[in-house]
Amino acid sequence: MQLAVNILVLASIYALICCGYVLIYKVSRVLSLAHGELMMLGAYGLYATASLFSGHPLVALAAAAALALAVGVAVYAALMWRMTGESVLAAVLATIALGILLRGAMILMFGTQTQYPLRDLGWTNASLDLGAARISAVGLTLILSTALVYGALAVFLRLTRWGIRMRAAGQYPLLAAQRGIGLHGIYALAWGLATFTAGLAGMLIACDAGLEGTLVIIGLKAFPAALVGGLDSLVGALLGSLVVASAEVLLIHYVDPLLSDVVPFVILLAMLVARPWGLLGTREELDRV
Amino acid sequence: MSGYYRTRYAEDFALLDTATKKAWLAFLLVSLFIYPFLAGPLALDLANQILLGSIGAVALMLLTGYAGQISLGHAGLLAAGAFTTGILFKELGAGIWVTLPASAAVGAALGLVFGLPSLRLRGLYLAVSTLALHFIVTFAGGEYETRRGYSTGIIIDSPISDPRAWYLVLLAAAAATLLFGSNLLRARTGRAWRAIHGREAVAEALGVSVHRAKLSAFVVSSTLTALAGCLFAYYRGFVSAEAFSLYLTIQYVAMIIIGGMGSLLGAVLGTIFVVLFPYAIDIAMSALGLAERLSSVVFAVNYSAFGLVMIAFLVFEPQGLVGLWRRLQSWFLLWPFKQRPLA
Amino acid sequence: MTLLAVEKLEVVYHRVITAVQGVSLEVPEGAIVALLGTNGAGKTTTLRAISGFIGLDDARVTEGAIRYRGSRIENRPPHRVTRLGIALVPERNKVFENLSVEENLAAVVPAPGRSFEPDLVYQYFPALAPLRRRAAGYLSGGERQMLAIGAGLACAPELLLVDELSQGLAPRLVEELMHRLQVVRRETRTTVLLVEQNAQVALEVADYGYVMENGRIVLDGKPERLRAHQDVQEFYLGGGAARRSYRDVKQYRRSRRWYG
Repeated sequence: MQLAVNILVLASIYALICCGYVLIYKVSRVLSLAHGELMMLGAYGLYATASLFSGHPLVALAAAAALALAVGVAVYAALMWRMTGESVLAAVLATIALGILLRGAMILMFGTQTQYPLRDLGWTNASLDLGAARISAVGLTLILSTALVYGALAVFLRLTRWGIRMRAAGQYPLLAAQRGIGLHGIYALAWGLATFTAGLAGMLIACDAGLEGTLVIIGLKAFPAALVGGLDSLVGALLGSLVVASAEVLLIHYVDPLLSDVVPFVILLAMLVARPWGLLGTREELDRV
Repeated sequence: MSGYYRTRYAEDFALLDTATKKAWLAFLLVSLFIYPFLAGPLALDLANQILLGSIGAVALMLLTGYAGQISLGHAGLLAAGAFTTGILFKELGAGIWVTLPASAAVGAALGLVFGLPSLRLRGLYLAVSTLALHFIVTFAGGEYETRRGYSTGIIIDSPISDPRAWYLVLLAAAAATLLFGSNLLRARTGRAWRAIHGREAVAEALGVSVHRAKLSAFVVSSTLTALAGCLFAYYRGFVSAEAFSLYLTIQYVAMIIIGGMGSLLGAVLGTIFVVLFPYAIDIAMSALGLAERLSSVVFAVNYSAFGLVMIAFLVFEPQGLVGLWRRLQSWFLLWPFKQRPLA
Repeated sequence: MTLLAVEKLEVVYHRVITAVQGVSLEVPEGAIVALLGTNGAGKTTTLRAISGFIGLDDARVTEGAIRYRGSRIENRPPHRVTRLGIALVPERNKVFENLSVEENLAAVVPAPGRSFEPDLVYQYFPALAPLRRRAAGYLSGGERQMLAIGAGLACAPELLLVDELSQGLAPRLVEELMHRLQVVRRETRTTVLLVEQNAQVALEVADYGYVMENGRIVLDGKPERLRAHQDVQEFYLGGGAARRSYRDVKQYRRSRRWYG
């Protein structure tokens, strides 16, 4: 039972981050490998606002969330818009380079010590007893936030006009532009939302376990989850996160704790060999690249 | 009568056709030979690093720049070569004449493994598969370290210790790699690679076996890379899994991008740039008086600066240093006329 | 009054290939103007130049001007052109295949200051009404073209550019679509520039026609005049009485009949 809880929490983390991978890929066909760093940036954002608004934790949270959204849009406006239309490899490398830049910048700005934003916010991470298992308060928040975010995104993409426009732009950008849809706006929105969810994930992880440099690896490990589900399917991302999280937790528990870093990539490789477009991705993606 | 005439087939195949080119090459060779005797220890070490790095860079350039197969697993292949050397040394006490061919064999085998996904995947998905393989390989290396208790790394006795001797060995190795690479490119294999880079369907229609071309690109590239890894292990005298991180792969990718894709000269130029970069940052920091304040986080400064420079090249000069060089050349040759390039 | 005026347009691909040389045409407000010609004549390029989407194929307008209501619009970014009220119904990839018909219409952003009820599209194309929820990828060719025209109309444009309406459709369907276009024009006063290979059908609905060949306009006039013209009959309408020998045809083309 405890394993199931652990799986759910880990899957929520991965799902929140994956949401960003999927959004950006679905809308602009760019694979953003800077997501781990953006996630950390969100966490550091919380640390910064927590110190700034000490005594007003809710304000700090809201400010950090808004900051994450703004950073996403800024990343698009400053860098990624130049990469639209360039080859896929160039765009991916640009995101990798951005990730490297962000990592260096974060160390320069915030130092290398471990931080505990939750403490700075003035809250404690209570451990809740569910009978057969325990879960931390932050862990529960993680699961709930993931559900909320995915629900909101599903409604947005399916039912609102701008959501439909985002899907349209992801499919045929040229036709979308011809129909009056401003592509730059759509891409900026996608980047903003993606960075927001990644930042949210980063903040919650930092609250749960503390904020330090190794957090970035989680972002990279979430990527196989996105791919397993299908890079352009949000539901797939949920599924993929569950699969990867389950495999990781179970293998750590029953086989070897050191496997945690490599398990997602083995699954990724297996998926690429068997079914490259993922569980729920659209098949044509393969021929497009 | 002036102009370039070819009267024999041998002239067609020759790498250097004009007397001027031969003269320049002679000059280059002479200066390269004199260098170790004139250079100080730091300059010598830098040169050694550049030569060593260029082997890996040429390997990656052949794979990605010419054959068009994107690979983000380069550090994994270097690790494979280095770890083969380390493992054979520790387990069997093997000398360099065993580890070198063994690394090559391991490299070739891994190249096959890395290359198999390329038969089904292209572009982004291929890059991702190579990334996954990189993590698996480095994980395996790390596992070996922990299982055998070498948690701080494997120490290797190097047969060569004098930096000057290393310089000559590495110079020979780099030159051999460049020669091998350029000959391969001029031969059928190289043409097949360029064909599949351009349009796979057309290449297949022209009788090029796309599968064979892709796999050969991967195998050749990884063999060279594993050899570089082996030399790397001996040069450092030390093998550890942390050295082969994703950042190392990105540095090699940066070498071929900053250098200029699709050109062996680009691989060399890119290597020079990336190897000298941290030292340039060092000098810049001392000049700006920041050296003291940021000494504890100098690697972070390197990171940020590196990321920035890479972005700058991707955005403003996608053809890399070679592109700059060619533009300079054409400006010089065409002056006072101006000509906009077609591409 | 002239809504769109193309003056001596020259479009060059990859800086070396001239696809359109010195094309001039005028589209009066409220009219349906047909631009005819075979493959490779430069019609689609002209249309792309007007709608602003030529940069993608590495093409540029190098000479001449395109004036919309007097102001120049060549080499502008496409969304600027769309803002002015010019909508394009493209040749390929005309609908979003993973979206339903409803969503296809909802995705459209109407030109600022104009609105268009998507329900009007179902009025003009009643065949689409029962297909609202169906994914556009599952529509037949004719339904797809109807949806494409409908989506173009949903932008509430002043000028509708239609590229190769008849391609791949059954003749009866093509006739019906053309007549619908006439209905739309009558009821919404939308101006239409129709690029077509099927001269017969196009000349039936057009108020004026231009014939393009090798990047140049070689003939223009009212449909009656065009239809009666011997060259148009022979090259586009399948007319021409006797079979000519190849030698005759070459000399025939060399003569200045196109300027008569």
